[in-house]
Amino acid sequence: MRQFLDGLYRVAEWAAMAALCAIAVLVFAQVSGRVFDTLLVMTGSSPYGFLIPSLAEIAGFLLVGASFLALAGSFRAGSHIRVTLALMHLPEKVRRASETTALALAAFLSGLLAFYTARLAWDSFVYGEKSFGIIAVPLSLPQGVMALGALVFAIATIDDLVATLRGGRPTSIAKEEEGAGDVA
Amino acid sequence: MNELATTATLLGVFVLVLLAGGLWVALALMAVGLATIFLMVSVPPGAVMATTIWGSVNSWDLAALPMFIWMGEILFRTKLAEDMFTGLAPWMRRVPGRLFHVNVLGCAIFAAVSGSSAATTATIGRMSLPELKRRGYDERMAIGTLAGSGTLGLLIPPSIILIVYGAATEQSIARLFIAGIMPGIMLAVLFMGYCAIWALVQRDRMPVPDERVPYLTRLWQTRRLFPVLALIAGVIGSIYGGFASPTEAAVVGVVLALLLSAFSGTLTRASFMDALRQATRTSCMIVLILAGAAVLTVAMGYTGIPRELAAFIGSLELSPYALLAALTLFFVVLGCFLDGISIVVLTTSVILPMIEAAGLDIIWFGIYLVLVVEMSQITPPVGFNLFVLQGLTGYNILKIARMTLPFFLLMIIAVVLVVAFPQIALWLPQTMLSR
Repeated sequence: MRQFLDGLYRVAEWAAMAALCAIAVLVFAQVSGRVFDTLLVMTGSSPYGFLIPSLAEIAGFLLVGASFLALAGSFRAGSHIRVTLALMHLPEKVRRASETTALALAAFLSGLLAFYTARLAWDSFVYGEKSFGIIAVPLSLPQGVMALGALVFAIATIDDLVATLRGGRPTSIAKEEEGAGDVA
Repeated sequence: MNELATTATLLGVFVLVLLAGGLWVALALMAVGLATIFLMVSVPPGAVMATTIWGSVNSWDLAALPMFIWMGEILFRTKLAEDMFTGLAPWMRRVPGRLFHVNVLGCAIFAAVSGSSAATTATIGRMSLPELKRRGYDERMAIGTLAGSGTLGLLIPPSIILIVYGAATEQSIARLFIAGIMPGIMLAVLFMGYCAIWALVQRDRMPVPDERVPYLTRLWQTRRLFPVLALIAGVIGSIYGGFASPTEAAVVGVVLALLLSAFSGTLTRASFMDALRQATRTSCMIVLILAGAAVLTVAMGYTGIPRELAAFIGSLELSPYALLAALTLFFVVLGCFLDGISIVVLTTSVILPMIEAAGLDIIWFGIYLVLVVEMSQITPPVGFNLFVLQGLTGYNILKIARMTLPFFLLMIIAVVLVVAFPQIALWLPQTMLSR
């Protein structure tokens, strides 16, 4: 089980990283194309008109995918910020209770997020909604990825909640304490 | 109004309780938004949340965020910080204040690529503090310059916090970037001016200067900084000139950073994956905060609280200066326990109508907000950057706050200047070539 969950978070994070790479590659191709066209015009030839269709839309979709698929991994890495100033001054017992409550709330909220994004994707699928660009992407596709990411996030928060209730240290908080001071 | 005021107060307390209780910032914003819709409006909260989040994250402009963060992460791993000291130091020998300026300039350059004041303070400080101490520089000034300068680069584009503000308020990120340049430079000049004057007055507390380094050697020692400077200039220049949108400029920045990293021999499979992974995580964290803030903003819109608040403030007939003074105080207090990005998204969802009603320019307000928020990060007795310095030096926070005080006062001067002369921020965007 442990192995499966860790694998799940890792695969989701890889997919998120791949989505960011895809944004970079597509946008860079578009920019290079434009530079190439400008060079053509400058040398007196006619521009080739290089264009990646619907790039702006697709980049937006990839950003949604990258952001949501990365949720679980970044949560467990302690990258998400929260206010620990008050907690630091509380006695150990109160702090633990507060953290458990926070984790329970996080699990509840991420569960809601997963459920409602899934329903959004489902509605888009049922009504066959498509994006407006030259390439009409069915909206259920990026929205489905969003829901998937939210689901993995919900699993990760429940995972940590269970760990806390069993008396262990939740990964997200332990990593944060290790000094994930590299967050923005 | 009275009923709304009560609700608004209750919601405010609710946010504070959730935040202080250690709930993750993004989720706290989302929770308050959901609860507000659930309790006060007759629309389905879950569906509103899903469509709002989808709409706020599915954005071409916002794609600039992960790209700029990634660019910074790649450059972090190119020994940039080490090169900064050896590269800048020999040029500062004759300037009054000498190596203190390395702190200011180093932070300015570094923050331009990183967009995080805490990371800037930590990275530059780790390298420059021991060096300054070894050469006999006044420690108080060394720590003060570092704390102050750590914040200034957040105005210098590409600034992550300005992307967040632009996304939250639907303003042009390109214009915000350009608007930040002059105030950023002004702040750097203020800091450097103070260092110079301090060094002239306290001549006996300055150590003997280092040996003079010949020009060619200096250029050689600085060689690795030039590509980085060129990269920053290229990114900003292409946005200013209208050749590229911020997202495109950011992607080009990523590619150039990768090339730079390859040339300096620091590009390995491991460093590439590391940078990408860290960028994915950091941008995911920020995007989720933006998503949570979007839910809160929509909820606030339903309740009409921001509108009422704007009307209420309007009925007080405050001068814009009085309003800004009150807001400054408010932000400084918030900055005691929240980081800059959270403050920006939390407040824009409530106070933006008020700003519009007061007739203030939204782009200008973004610059003002970032300036004040950054000031709040070095506010005694609590502030994020002070904690970083505490970790770095082992001194207690009050001692560090005392060392930082002159720079805090300089930032107040900067805020006053930007308020009194809005053109400091607004002039440059007006001269932009297109868009």
